[in-house]
Amino acid sequence: MDLSTALSRARRNFLDDWTLHAVAIASLVVAFLCLGATLFAVANLNRIAEKWGNTQQLSLYLKDGTEKADVSQLQFVLESLPEVAAVEYLTPAAAQKKFLEQTDAESDLASLPTEVFPASLEIKLTQGVPEGRLQKIIDRLQQLAPVQEVESYRGWFEHLASLLQASRWSASVLAALVAICVIAVIENTVRMAIAHRSDEIEVLKLCGATDGFVRMPFVIEGAIQGSVAALFSILLLLVAYAIVSGQVGYTFATLTGVSLTFFSPQIGLAVVIGGGAAGALGSLLSLRRYLSV
Amino acid sequence: MTLARESTTRSVGRGSTSFFRQRERPDSSKHAKPILVMEEVYKYFRRDVPTLKNVNLKINRGEFVFVTGPSGAGKSTLLQLIYRKHTVDSGRILFSGRDVARLTKSSIPFLRRNLGVIFQDFKIISHWSTFENVAVALEILSIPKRLIRSRVAEALDRVGLAGRGNEHAGDLSGGEQQRVAIARAIVTEPALLLADEPTGNLDPGLSIDILTLFEEIHEAGTTVIFATHDHSLLQAAPHRLVMIDDGHVIEASQGLRAWAARTQSMVAS
Ligand SMILES: Nc1ncnc2c1ncn2[C@@H]1O[C@H](COP(=O)(O)OP(=O)(O)OP(=O)(O)O)[C@@H](O)[C@H]1O
Ligand SMILES: [Mg+2]
Repeated sequence: MDLSTALSRARRNFLDDWTLHAVAIASLVVAFLCLGATLFAVANLNRIAEKWGNTQQLSLYLKDGTEKADVSQLQFVLESLPEVAAVEYLTPAAAQKKFLEQTDAESDLASLPTEVFPASLEIKLTQGVPEGRLQKIIDRLQQLAPVQEVESYRGWFEHLASLLQASRWSASVLAALVAICVIAVIENTVRMAIAHRSDEIEVLKLCGATDGFVRMPFVIEGAIQGSVAALFSILLLLVAYAIVSGQVGYTFATLTGVSLTFFSPQIGLAVVIGGGAAGALGSLLSLRRYLSV
Repeated sequence: MTLARESTTRSVGRGSTSFFRQRERPDSSKHAKPILVMEEVYKYFRRDVPTLKNVNLKINRGEFVFVTGPSGAGKSTLLQLIYRKHTVDSGRILFSGRDVARLTKSSIPFLRRNLGVIFQDFKIISHWSTFENVAVALEILSIPKRLIRSRVAEALDRVGLAGRGNEHAGDLSGGEQQRVAIARAIVTEPALLLADEPTGNLDPGLSIDILTLFEEIHEAGTTVIFATHDHSLLQAAPHRLVMIDDGHVIEASQGLRAWAARTQSMVAS
């Protein structure tokens, strides 16, 4: 049968039974909101991880009042190590400036006095320094007299990585749950729609409609409900994002070094298409169970 | 499958002007082509009591046949076997030479596209418009919208509801609703019309009107099987009459018809 007939039949059914469909879509929106919020978190954690994950570097914070000569000597020693690609001396003023550059947003921290930023040697490592060797270098540097502290960023990055992993996991589990939820809700909605329209289905069959002709509008309706619910919840999230990012966006940027962003249009599209597919599937399952043709 | 192809090409191919074209007049000679043949048909709903037993019936193209019998005799069952709501337990039902009983489930829709079925309870969708109720039969055949519009208009005209396509079907009177159902059945120009007590829910005056409408459709060339237990209708129209009695189908003679009419008037008085 032709698609336009199926579409116009589906449209008519939507209008005839709109409360049933509205209730189904509303309950699915709640499910999609949870999924969308998690995807939002994953997207931002991902950006943070990308920003910090590939910084192969060490910061060597120097004790206050370290002599310039000691610094130069230390710098010379470090540069002679094969694992070190570059060493940069950061005075407290330079450190403050760099900090402010790294944070995307303008910051209250700009008003902090220069003295709170310690002088440091920023060490860029060559690619692929083995874990054990790196630890040995850190241990040795720690013992040098002018060195206050060695920051390898690894602990922090490991935390971030595990957080990212966990949120990816929960997003996947949530996506599966939402799919099941969509299938179940639409299966039930279509079951009711079949009951409401039993007289219509009988007439169609008597007039010689094929199974496909009878079923197609229900499948289209299921797909539309799933995708409309997904789309609607993404729009709601976008509105929420617009409000929230104005308020906490820049604190977030200050803390993490990346600006708050929404997940990509591709992910949004995937959610909408996935919602439609789950809806169609739910409808098909319902038709199989409740529509005896 | 062949049934379907015939139906679609006929329906699409024929322009609107030929809608009223007279088919060949029924021919009472031996060479008349049967449209429906039932051979030794048995149907059981209960294990040992057949509802229909050894039914042999031949209906030629262009005939008008009354099927009568007391309530529960099996009139509806007989028609349901033809449009494959039920399947025979043994025997054959040949429609246009093809055995209906042996159609696969997926080809039943194509059988039904060649039949028009009308019921006592109309089976129209009350929240649709009159137009939509008739158009649905053509939508199933994937006929272009423009053609659907003109053919539905003609069908409504034929049943006396010209220009009333936009009315809500649920608001029509019983007689009008049945006319909508008849329009839906004839709009595809089926070769055979099956009517199961089409006047059962209508008062006597309206019943005669509906019968007259069926006769007009028959005049235009459609074969009609009309199941009823309303003897006043049987009396009003001199058509072939078959009776179902104790599961058997009997060809009713004129004498029987007269007897039926007498009992009817006796009951009435
Ligand atoms: N689906 C079914 N399942 C079981 N028994 C059935 C079924 N359909 C019909 N019957 C039985 O078959 C017999 C004939 O029923 P049918 O409806 O054909 O009678 P009818 O002649 O149309 O009667 P009426 O004039 O009341 O409409 C009845 O005894 C009925 O109980
Ligand atoms: Mg009956």
